[in-house]
Amino acid sequence: MATRLKIFLPFGLLILSVLIVPVSVMLISSLQNMDGGFSFSNYHQIFFSRYYRGAIYNSISISLITSLISLVISIIGAWALTKLSLSTKNILITVFNMSSSFAGVPLAFSLIILFGNAGIFKAITSTLHVHDALNIYSVTGMTFAYTFFEIPLGIMFFFPVLDSLSKEWFEVSDVLGASKMFFISKVIFPIILPNIVEIFVLLFANAMGTYETVYALMGNNLVSIPTVIGSLINGELVANVPLACAFATLFTVIMTIIVWLGNRVTNIKGRRIS
Amino acid sequence: MEKHADKVIAKIVIALISVYLVAPIIATIMYSFAKSWVNTILPDGWTLEWYLQLVTNSDFLSALIRSIILGIVTTIIAMCCFLPVVFYANVYDESIKARLRFITVLPFTIPGIVLVTGLVRVYANLPIPQMLVLLLAISLLSLPVTYQALDNAFIAHDFRAMFEQALILGDSPLKAFVKVVIPNIRVGMFIAMLLTFTSAFGEYVLTNIILGGNYETLKIYMYRLMQSNGQASSVLTTVYFFFLAVISIIMIAIMKRQGNKKVEEVGDTKKL
Repeated sequence: MATRLKIFLPFGLLILSVLIVPVSVMLISSLQNMDGGFSFSNYHQIFFSRYYRGAIYNSISISLITSLISLVISIIGAWALTKLSLSTKNILITVFNMSSSFAGVPLAFSLIILFGNAGIFKAITSTLHVHDALNIYSVTGMTFAYTFFEIPLGIMFFFPVLDSLSKEWFEVSDVLGASKMFFISKVIFPIILPNIVEIFVLLFANAMGTYETVYALMGNNLVSIPTVIGSLINGELVANVPLACAFATLFTVIMTIIVWLGNRVTNIKGRRIS
Repeated sequence: MEKHADKVIAKIVIALISVYLVAPIIATIMYSFAKSWVNTILPDGWTLEWYLQLVTNSDFLSALIRSIILGIVTTIIAMCCFLPVVFYANVYDESIKARLRFITVLPFTIPGIVLVTGLVRVYANLPIPQMLVLLLAISLLSLPVTYQALDNAFIAHDFRAMFEQALILGDSPLKAFVKVVIPNIRVGMFIAMLLTFTSAFGEYVLTNIILGGNYETLKIYMYRLMQSNGQASSVLTTVYFFFLAVISIIMIAIMKRQGNKKVEEVGDTKKL
């Protein structure tokens, strides 16, 4: 018993001090007004202010679109990866790994070089006299920017799933006279559907929580849940930590429900391949 | 015949995706060697001037040292907290692993920007060093990566038998752990340490909000440079990128030496 305590003590203290206590206080604070009294005023403010509703709307729409696009591209990418030789696979996994950890300030900076107002893309389009429709400093621009870390992340999630599919299944269905389309839609798709749901949820959640890249590209000019939290804490508007806590609570509750639902779908479907 | 066509399509797909993902990195590297590059397709000329400027800049060196310190201390804290637990879970009680599963979704349900609200609320006005809060919080956020990598280290040996034989032969549990278990997991431990170090080294959100720019790490310095001097910032980004590349190459080399079985686990390590 004493040994067990010693083993779990550092871990327990860490979890308690920087996870359980802060998250509990966050939940409680979200129900307090500025004077410390109990009230729903923070939530009232979030849902009845057009500005804050806009933040929620922006976050959800950017994350939804970017994770759907990235999901499709990463399935195709992961499939292509399984067709390559082992050494090429390893090199590419390293490349994808690096490009996903490039997210944040470095990514924001390189996107400014590429697509910013004095960037390479602008130079190319103006020499070719093509109208350049992409504005990186916008909601669409952000949706585009997120794909640079969502796609590699998705590929790294999907690769082990697709790589573990048995090659013999295709041969069996081929011998039985099934077409390739039939094989993909009736055999492979049902098997990997739970993984698709699971990975979609992770990509969506990852996009929802993205702060560094948005902040580095647009400061607080793009109104999303993370940037609103950031500016409410830093006091760039007016510091209001309880309101930030309410936003954070809302975020955690939504994400926990989505991740939990995702897990349920995965478990009901059973047969996880891994 | 069809198989061959598949392979060609696969190569084209991968080439397109790689070009897309690597383009920002290549552009940054080119920018860092460019004399000036505004509104033109290619730079006006090449120079090493910006590199010299950065390397001799004392702000750069102190930011680098701060990030390294952050990385090392976080790695030590993370190892002290997680290594015993992962060891116990793998060797004595597999059922703990099911309970620890919440860890894997932690970064998705409670990302840094959410966690920081609670941290600021609880600790900002307490008379404790905010640095300590930061270090502990970064260790927590590195947990999924560290946990997964450490967990992989325990595959393949019967650690329980080893550990208990050492105890019977008269070693104290701590001594047995250091003498018998650690040498057998040193490769996996090293990978876990590298991953933890990298995630702390590149941390931005918590450092920026909790310490409010008073502790200028490499990323915060990068952000400041980005606002003022694009050229210098591109050099810093390139240096940072090479740092990531070197770490990845080291890890690939280690895993290659471990044989192909381990290589497949790279995928698992990443599947957080």
